[in-house]
Amino acid sequence: MKLVQAGDTSPLALLFERHHVALFRYLLHLTRNPALSEDLVQEVFFRVLKYAKSYDPDLSFPIWLYGMARNAYFDSIRKKRGEIGGDAFGEIKSPEPMPEELISRKEDVMLLQRALLKLPDDKREVLVLSRFHNLRYEDIARILQCEIGTVKVRVYRALKELRENFHELRGEKLYES
Amino acid sequence: MNPEDYRLLIPQYLSGQLGPAETELFEAQLTASPELWMEVEELRSLWEGLGQMPQKQPSAALRFRFYQRLNAIDAKNRRAVRNKASWWQLGPLPQLAFGLALFVLGTYVGRVSLNSGVRPEEMAQMRSQVQSLREMVALSLLDRQSATSRLEGVSWGSRVERPDRELMSALVTALNHDPNVNVRLSSLDALEKFTNEASVRKALLDSIPLQDSPLVQIALIDVLVHIRDGAAAVELRRLSQDAEVNASVRQRAQWGLERLGL
Repeated sequence: MKLVQAGDTSPLALLFERHHVALFRYLLHLTRNPALSEDLVQEVFFRVLKYAKSYDPDLSFPIWLYGMARNAYFDSIRKKRGEIGGDAFGEIKSPEPMPEELISRKEDVMLLQRALLKLPDDKREVLVLSRFHNLRYEDIARILQCEIGTVKVRVYRALKELRENFHELRGEKLYES
Repeated sequence: MNPEDYRLLIPQYLSGQLGPAETELFEAQLTASPELWMEVEELRSLWEGLGQMPQKQPSAALRFRFYQRLNAIDAKNRRAVRNKASWWQLGPLPQLAFGLALFVLGTYVGRVSLNSGVRPEEMAQMRSQVQSLREMVALSLLDRQSATSRLEGVSWGSRVERPDRELMSALVTALNHDPNVNVRLSSLDALEKFTNEASVRKALLDSIPLQDSPLVQIALIDVLVHIRDGAAAVELRRLSQDAEVNASVRQRAQWGLERLGL
């Protein structure tokens, strides 16, 4: 980042290679729209270039990056209010021939996916950061700009609500069959 | 801690984020409280289930669009550097060369204005002197620590009409080994002018496996396709089939093969 701050753009490619997949996945959980998430990933990296001078070296780069991604996401909502949404998980929902013994596990994972999508945005986001990005609560608190205690409560409640959603979906499924 | 405080620790316990003392305390409570134990086990299966969820990959188009935009910014910056750099910023040796170039130019102008004309051989000699000076400045700058100076060196090198072997070799070295991607890309721009020479075409081809930057690899493929170098087929095929190579580079190599009709 020091080089980027000094006006050298070449390290940006390296930062992109290191972080773009994780950032895409984070944004995908927020937007649920792959095309929009890709646009935002690109936007975030060019914001890195633009705002490089405001980067605080004491802060870990990924945390700064996630914070910036979050701002880019909220900016996009403001710009395209009502346009977000879509099917981010088409691949998972599409029927795929599976060995019989794997069907049940695969279906559970699909249900879990749907249960996660049913969570309110703030709970899904905190759970995604904790579970999929393995971030510590202090780091999540920095990204969300809230207290660590808030993160603690929110992750636990998100997990509990996920469990309720999952059981609800399982019940519907059992009832349907 | 009350039971609710322990519950709030469940996600951290499951993700292994509790410290040793907290873990010990938490596990002691687990054995004492069947309710907590049941909740942990139930949430553990969800936590593990989340870990099994397939993670979507971004498309190759994202990488391609990113590098395209970065390339455009770099090109803009390079142009800005080229326009901004002045002779007094170049350092003693280039300043001397610049001074000599001005001297040669002054002599030429003086002769033109005092005499009716300049003999062709004199003209050729002066042109050759200017070329030598440009080469000297380019070589001197290419040897600098600062990437901006080396970029300037490449720029001076590209102004030489027929670079000698030393300058050509310095440009190829910059393309292959300069730590700065912008310098490598500029060197490629400079060398592209001389691709009518077989040695330069070979150097570009040999450079692809040496590059660690997908951006430079893609730029090299573009040049080889642009000059329609059939000898590039083997390298392009290797790139397009190598799973370890960056996806955008593989795609570009495949595109190159198609453009070359191979």
